[in-house]
Amino acid sequence: MRYLLLFFTFLLTGCFKEPLYHSQSYVFGTLVDISIYGETDERARLLANNILADFQNLHKQLHAWKPVSGNKLSELGELNAAISAGNRAVKVSPALANMLLDATDLSLKSNGLFNPAIGHLISTWGFQRDEFSAVNVNEAAIKNLLHAQPRMTDLVIKADAIYSTNPTVKLDLGGYAKGYALDIAASYLRKEQAKNALINIGGNVIALGKHGDKPWRVGIQHPRAPTAIATLDLADGWAIGTSGDYQRYFMLNGQRYCHIIDPRTGYPAQQTQSVTVLVPPQASNKTQAGVLSDVVSKPIFIETAANRNTAAQAFGIENFMVIDAQAAIFVSAKMVNKLHWVDAGVKFSTLP
Amino acid sequence: MLVLNFLRYPKRLINELLIGDWLIIILSLVGIFYLFQSLWTNEHAARVQISVGNKIYATYSLNQQRDIHLHGKLGDAVISISQGKARFSQSPCNTQYCVHQGWLSHAGQVAICLPNQISLELLGERKLYDSLNY
Repeated sequence: MRYLLLFFTFLLTGCFKEPLYHSQSYVFGTLVDISIYGETDERARLLANNILADFQNLHKQLHAWKPVSGNKLSELGELNAAISAGNRAVKVSPALANMLLDATDLSLKSNGLFNPAIGHLISTWGFQRDEFSAVNVNEAAIKNLLHAQPRMTDLVIKADAIYSTNPTVKLDLGGYAKGYALDIAASYLRKEQAKNALINIGGNVIALGKHGDKPWRVGIQHPRAPTAIATLDLADGWAIGTSGDYQRYFMLNGQRYCHIIDPRTGYPAQQTQSVTVLVPPQASNKTQAGVLSDVVSKPIFIETAANRNTAAQAFGIENFMVIDAQAAIFVSAKMVNKLHWVDAGVKFSTLP
Repeated sequence: MLVLNFLRYPKRLINELLIGDWLIIILSLVGIFYLFQSLWTNEHAARVQISVGNKIYATYSLNQQRDIHLHGKLGDAVISISQGKARFSQSPCNTQYCVHQGWLSHAGQVAICLPNQISLELLGERKLYDSLNY
């Protein structure tokens, strides 16, 4: 009888709510989803709210195309205005200067395929808007911008002042800021000694600790269906990022134009549906996992099939998956064992 | 009574079964197997959770027929529920991605309207993942 009672007690504890706090909000024009495990509801709410406040501040600092309050431009917006006006140097915060130095370094590593200096190209394609729609392709403008070759190395970053030797540079950290925000949130939570959390900013996710006795589990979006194509466990300190042609795109004459622009052609990349990269924790003096999860998917997305491996290796990334325009799935050798396919019959090729 | 008899004299009872009895038994087994397959392993969702902005707006059973009218950041949207499925059926957004997602019926599926800041997620017994890398 005693054992029976004990058994029922255990059964009942199973009914109690697990210590999981969950919140979602809209920042950076996308959905921010925060899960915190193992803290009281009160403390988890406080932590999540502080993270969201940090994100809002980052958003205000880095917004690439809109005044952030009244007529005031973001810090990045001020810099962009000065760049297009001429050679005037602008004082910026050390945080922004460091971001731009890091982004320049990453741009070089990607052979210019990750290029945050092509803001003018992105706005030509109509993607620097909250709500975008099909645009008429402005071939003359694209040609001019290609010819002008705006690059990160056109920036002269000295102490805390920046200018550009090329007035056609327009900085857009759309492929960097979300990852950076993940790293900020992760380091804040570590400082606060919150050990278990999962933060998702519009498809860039970082994990701290675990979800109870299990690792955090992340679903990878199917690029053409409203469901996950696979799931995988995200270990402590790991980040994952997916770039797809399905969240920001428009259709024109039966052709899909997505927001990821190939800086070599000036046109949206068209041979890929989605790229997912899985990034291990990085040494503290290196670019952090969050930023890499945001940045590295772009060059792989843009590259031709033959060069995807090289594009990943340039950043030391061994785990990635590509779904190309024909819906063929390619998985790097290391990543194969980490994926759990939702549809067990799925066909994929393993990359050597 | 039948069960007790069966336990006592299994052979006699089996011999007494007629073809109709066998048909009923076989059909029931097939039915149970089918229900198990479709309801258990495919993780059909039971409820839909709707969020507007930063708030969970409400959770509804999928086992009904109704339209839910919501007011998002851009304007009025409609989410429809019908016999185990849910979808965005109207949205004021430009791109209409949310409406194009169509009917969702499996636990873990989500549809998000970023411009109007409304999302729906199907809930089931078991969650396939903690967060979706979309």
